[in-house]
Amino acid sequence: MKKILYISALIFAFSYAPLSAQTNTTFSYAMGFGMGDLGDFISKTSFRGATLDFRKMARPDVGFGFSLGWNTFYEEKAYDTYHDGNASLSGRQYRYSNHVPMLISADYYFNPGEKVSPFIGLGTGVTYTRRNTDMSIYTIEQDAWNFTLQPEIGVQFNSSLSSATTIMLKYYHGFAAGELEAAQSYLSLNIGFVFRSL
Amino acid sequence: MNRILKMFSFAVLTGLFFGGCYPGGADYTSDRDVVYTTYNDEYDFKAYNTYAMPDQIVTDVHMTNGGDTIYEYMKPIYADPILDKIAENMTNYGWTRVDVSENPDMLLTPAGISTTTYFYSYWYDWWYGGWWGGWGWYYPPYYTVSSITTGSLIMVFANPNLDTPINRSPTEWIGIGNGILTNSGNVGRALDAIDQAYEQSPYLKIN
Repeated sequence: MKKILYISALIFAFSYAPLSAQTNTTFSYAMGFGMGDLGDFISKTSFRGATLDFRKMARPDVGFGFSLGWNTFYEEKAYDTYHDGNASLSGRQYRYSNHVPMLISADYYFNPGEKVSPFIGLGTGVTYTRRNTDMSIYTIEQDAWNFTLQPEIGVQFNSSLSSATTIMLKYYHGFAAGELEAAQSYLSLNIGFVFRSL
Repeated sequence: MNRILKMFSFAVLTGLFFGGCYPGGADYTSDRDVVYTTYNDEYDFKAYNTYAMPDQIVTDVHMTNGGDTIYEYMKPIYADPILDKIAENMTNYGWTRVDVSENPDMLLTPAGISTTTYFYSYWYDWWYGGWWGGWGWYYPPYYTVSSITTGSLIMVFANPNLDTPINRSPTEWIGIGNGILTNSGNVGRALDAIDQAYEQSPYLKIN
């Protein structure tokens, strides 16, 4: 059922293409701030991330398209002892969490064509999450395909008809799935370039 | 211009993707040191108070064409401080070391792994068949042998007086310092690992 919904939404999104030929393509650098279970696992900010956003403009103020992203969270824990049943393990832990959201998205622009154009948007789709806990030469690997909702707000600073710079705040909420029993959520602060074609 | 900017930003982001994909990790070999301990939680350590321990540490086992088994031992310059450190921790926890001929309650058999091949099958036969003169011990069901690596120090604590249908005593406690004997010239990491193994095993304390 979920797949049918995704495919329908994609068809819906791209069926607007003939109405307007303009496209917005945004490449952005993404800093991630883990929240909830992810924030408990890794408290450090992620400085490794990027996002590609593509929108076809159905109207000057409305765009539909997709969003692909990636963020790696990493933290080195101090030497500590971890207990599991009657076993204890001491050492340094190296924690990694990789997130690759693949979403269909829609944005609404408040001042299209103006120098400064704020916008809001919503994306939905799936995020591939892979969590690794390394100790010594061993790793515990857990992965999941999380159904994801991603609201966003942002501002585009238009420098010409064909380009802009942008700053965005995206909140990714990946619902619990797979080997990860809790929701995986993070906030992403993105700075990037927007390229338009007519 | 637009195309150039697009290519430039794409190149920068691609660099970020592949340049920073897998961050950090261990900087030094010692960062990978881990100490693993586990025990039989139904075993009452406080019901016993003597143990025996060999004065050598076996590091390898060879099979000859004639079927003989040849053992290699750690040099005393390395083995002695390790054995002393184990004995010190046992004393601190209230255990009395006795000779193997004095009917000890427990046997503590340390080993240093130089290769994982054949080792598990023959090492305990040496201690038990040769040194102690009885049957051997077996790994507890709650421990996975395959997680031991080359350069590991293993300490096994078993009760040789427990009879079983298979003539093998179950291991009541096992402590492993993974990879800690690979450091050249000293056993400092091994000594730290021994202290850590006892620190995280307070149930061994009987005093």
